[in-house]
Amino acid sequence: MSNRPITMLIAALGGEGGGVLTNWLIEVADRSGWLCQSTSLAGVAQRTGATIYYLEFIRREDAGADPVLSLFPSQGDIDIAVTSEIAEAGRMLSRGFVSPKRTTLISSDHRVFGITEKSAITDGAIDTPMLIELAERYSKRFVSFNVDTLVKRHGTVISAGLLGAIAGAGVLPFDKAIFAEIVAGNGASTANMAAFEDSFLTAQRHDGIPLEGDEPAPFILPEPSSELGATLLPQIAALPPAIHEVCYHGAQRLVDYQDLSYAQQFLVRVVRLVERDSAAGHYELTSEAARWLALWMAFEDVPRVAQLKLRPEREASIREEVKAAPNQLLKVTEFFHPRVEEVAAMLPTPIGRWLVNSAISRRLLTAVLGPRKLRTDTIATQLVLRGLASVRHWRRATLGFYLEHQMIDRWFNAVIGASDDALALALADCGRMVKGYGATRHRTTTQLMAIIGGVEGGGVSTSEQVRKLYSAAMTQPDDQLFQIALSPPNKSFMV
Amino acid sequence: MAERSFAQEVMKLRAGAGEVFKGEGILAITKALLQSGVSYVGGYQGSPISHLMDVLNDAQGILGELGVHFEANGSEATAAAMLSASINYPLRGAVTWKSTVGTNVASDALSNVASSGVTGGAMVIVGEDYGEGSSIMQERTYAFAMKAQMWLLDPRPNLTSMVDTVEKGFELSEASNTPIFYMMRIRGCHVTGEFVARDNVAPAFNKTHPVSPQREPEKIILPPFVYAQEREKIQHRLPAAIDFIQRERLNEFFSGMHEHLGIITCGGSYNTVIRALERQGLADIYGNVDIPIYCLNVAYPLVPEELVEFCSGKEQVLVLEEGQPEYIEQGIQTALRRADLQTRVYGKDIMPMAGEYTGQVMLEGMTRFVLASKRAHIPLALSLEDVLALETPLSQDDIAALMEELPPRPAGLCTGCPERPIFSAVKQLQEELGPFHISSDIGCHSFATAAPFNLGNTIMGYGLSLASSSAMRHTLPHKAISIMGDGGFWHNGLTSGVTSAVFNGHDGLLVVIDNGYSAATGGQDIPSLVQPNLIASTIDAELPKRHEWQSIEAACRGAGVKWIRTISSYNIDAMKRTLREALTTAAPGLKVIIAEGECMLNRQRRVKPLLKKAIAEGKRVDRARFYVDPETCTGDHGCVRLSGCPSLTIKDNPDPLRIDPVSYVDNSCVGCGVCGTNAHSAVLCPSFARIDLVHNPTRFDTWKAQWRQRFSQWWRERDRRRWVASRL
Repeated sequence: MSNRPITMLIAALGGEGGGVLTNWLIEVADRSGWLCQSTSLAGVAQRTGATIYYLEFIRREDAGADPVLSLFPSQGDIDIAVTSEIAEAGRMLSRGFVSPKRTTLISSDHRVFGITEKSAITDGAIDTPMLIELAERYSKRFVSFNVDTLVKRHGTVISAGLLGAIAGAGVLPFDKAIFAEIVAGNGASTANMAAFEDSFLTAQRHDGIPLEGDEPAPFILPEPSSELGATLLPQIAALPPAIHEVCYHGAQRLVDYQDLSYAQQFLVRVVRLVERDSAAGHYELTSEAARWLALWMAFEDVPRVAQLKLRPEREASIREEVKAAPNQLLKVTEFFHPRVEEVAAMLPTPIGRWLVNSAISRRLLTAVLGPRKLRTDTIATQLVLRGLASVRHWRRATLGFYLEHQMIDRWFNAVIGASDDALALALADCGRMVKGYGATRHRTTTQLMAIIGGVEGGGVSTSEQVRKLYSAAMTQPDDQLFQIALSPPNKSFMV
Repeated sequence: MAERSFAQEVMKLRAGAGEVFKGEGILAITKALLQSGVSYVGGYQGSPISHLMDVLNDAQGILGELGVHFEANGSEATAAAMLSASINYPLRGAVTWKSTVGTNVASDALSNVASSGVTGGAMVIVGEDYGEGSSIMQERTYAFAMKAQMWLLDPRPNLTSMVDTVEKGFELSEASNTPIFYMMRIRGCHVTGEFVARDNVAPAFNKTHPVSPQREPEKIILPPFVYAQEREKIQHRLPAAIDFIQRERLNEFFSGMHEHLGIITCGGSYNTVIRALERQGLADIYGNVDIPIYCLNVAYPLVPEELVEFCSGKEQVLVLEEGQPEYIEQGIQTALRRADLQTRVYGKDIMPMAGEYTGQVMLEGMTRFVLASKRAHIPLALSLEDVLALETPLSQDDIAALMEELPPRPAGLCTGCPERPIFSAVKQLQEELGPFHISSDIGCHSFATAAPFNLGNTIMGYGLSLASSSAMRHTLPHKAISIMGDGGFWHNGLTSGVTSAVFNGHDGLLVVIDNGYSAATGGQDIPSLVQPNLIASTIDAELPKRHEWQSIEAACRGAGVKWIRTISSYNIDAMKRTLREALTTAAPGLKVIIAEGECMLNRQRRVKPLLKKAIAEGKRVDRARFYVDPETCTGDHGCVRLSGCPSLTIKDNPDPLRIDPVSYVDNSCVGCGVCGTNAHSAVLCPSFARIDLVHNPTRFDTWKAQWRQRFSQWWRERDRRRWVASRL
């Protein structure tokens, strides 16, 4: 019973080339005088689902006796587990396929987000460091690095990188030359060969070395580089160092958004937060409230969106993102959908009010507005955007500014006036709810105002209540859960 | 144009006697059919035997040379009816489908062919879609075998056994005049291995050697013959089968030193049994065992003589039979009781009633079985505690943490799928018209029942959504909504759904999703393949094979539907408008919306090479993809909730103040345009842009671009200066 098969599990996502990788391994084994039996659950492999390949390798006997190989991976019986992504490594752990006594776990440490992570209203992404820690703890050996970036650097797909990692980890008794020969074999893809080689060396290097955590360097307030800086930075420097970073970014944003005095208006409020906060001795409240305050004060009205679309460095980042060749022509078509509300928000308050309330002008405007595709690389559109961006000069007189600041004030006063620190912090965190455009934005701010209304009216008085309402609002993209949380129905059936 | 081409692999089907054939289980089965001299083959695609249909499709050259007739049948019922060729004539034939769903559809014809009995060998290769990787409800084909009296082969999952069993299966079918189920499990379909080939055999009868028509009235399934046929099954066919199975030793006995114990396993589980014994030190990797095994390569019928022979003198045996009810165990109990054998039979009392017998399940069961013996103590490599501990090395806390964190990863619609915008439209309309009850169907569109769309309440079977909506259309607050794919429409939906609905005055809505292919099963051709897709059966075929196409719209009109609209699925606004109209109109009768859009996987395979060629030839080509502006995205992910596209994902927010990740379109984007259209129709945000990369621009293009550059340059310089000045 000396000749035991080497067992290997490959977990990949549909379309990642798990089948190609498996076929390469079969060929490598075959060329090395080994038999490889593989099987897979390919039924759901095409459409992004998680899929599993299972391979067993055994040295061919001269006598030609047929080994009986298993088609099932078994808990505690896996020598090598390969996963194309770190959450899939977690899945293999949770299914018991990684054993501390036996299994070498080879995994790329990048993430491919699942639909529940992507569709969350806030941040649904899972805790990757926790997964890496578990993978290290529960595997006999953990070979892990970002195979995704590596293969992208070589312009190829993850299967070639994983093959390199498997060969580099030295878990299979086959020569590197044979691996390389197989990768080079079909189609002679130089990208695949380069990725294989790179991944091979990286796997050797990374073996057993714990992944270094990249602790961000502590923030140091920079020296002023302009007159604006010379005015604002000393004001920020006078605040507690723990909040320098948020204040710096906030002030910077608001100068860019409006002007110096708008940024100062922000800092005045920060000072009030610091006064409210210093009693507690730390600045968590200030930090969070200042973050959301700055973001809210720089609310995305039409002039702001136009301003952002005109950023001089924007074209370069688009070119890089879509991998355009140098000098390749691009057409950039933006999808805008201005509604009457957005137009009214740009107008002086009384006119804007009249517009929103007048049925006739509403109807007239609706006819002209609606879905628009605008080529922002054209001269005409750029001129229009410049016109819209310049509205920011009289922004303080617009309806939008008035309405937003009314809400900001109510929220800010509720934070400052909260009866206890926990409530203040919970209310500050609710600033995160302010997001989206159009109907989404309307829903989230209305929900936030309902929470503030509850605090003002005395119906909501504890941080637990606020957090419950917050999570009800942020769990589902409609208002249902929030309304139930706001006024729990009595036990009769809903009609 | 199936998603996987076997054009290279099918060359292996020409292998002659003595050559070593290396490949996948599915391909080996095809080779075995050719070695058996089949005259006709057919079937209906579906995992796990989709590839068998693809292989046959791609092997038409070889089939043609041998004179083998192939049909891609309209449904499993059509395929089963093909077996009637073997009733009167010594024609060997095989059909294939996904089971048990396909067997359900086919069972009318199956019952009849089984009652008539066959002269030529008739075989149904069923892909038993049971256990991990399955896409259907969990049932077994075994019950069908018993009720219609068809023999069920379940060979050991190595290529040699699989191929031999096909050949022997045809002989068994002919020796006992009975059609046969040949069961392939999911992992067996995809297992790779090798076997020594034999020569292909041309069928005795084909186009050039026709049969002479003959009538055998006693084989028609009408009274009084049906009574005789039932007696014939019991008196002649069953004994003949049992005799053949014994004579040819189709079931295998493996002896071992612990003769007071025994294991009775189905062939398909044999490898798992050996591995479990090997891990307990009771076998080696070459199948030499310490506990005797009786391996049922024929799972039905059981052979009482063999059972009695195997169990005689044994204290206890373990029956390994996946799934429920435990038909085999009951059969064994009956055989042993009749022979008055006192052997203790372990089965479902120590093995799980539901689910696959995986490595761990098998190891645990085997361990319990050996420990149950009252006789001599058999040393085991792993104690029961050891075995149970193998389940997971993780602590309770870590298991809980993983359960909490791990994102579910169900199959979903592909990047650029034309079905996505349909569900975006339905979801948007649902906001307007209140919650919907939707009768869903089988196909890619059934993924809409999951996140992020969460649309769909029931799935009743392939092409049955409209039929199933009939039951509750009188109780719904809105007009009944059924969604069906083009595959389901042709398979069953036209007759069971549309025709019946019109006949009964159904006034609900049927959305037929017309993507041109049977996409969920791997992109096989269907009757309504349309121009300009230039339909070819695989990516390698250059010319369209089908000259005529059958239109869904014409079929609906033929069935009496008056209200029909055909809409491009990517036009979300038009789709919303039309759906709204269908659900609110006073017009009587069934409303049918045909949502057209070619399967994106197939389209990409079709278009990519053309695009590359055009670019290489210097033609002006625009290649589109989408882009999310990270500066304007606020990270509420409303776009994701209306799409779920794999290429629309999230990434860390580059903004130092924001926490929530921004939406992000990765490089797998095919530029279908759904995110932009959603941003418009649901009034989402101004963050989406379509970027067209222009290849081989014309002189005019370049001239325009230069002017634009010159113009923007001045502004940009000014913007940059101001930007620097505004830095703190």
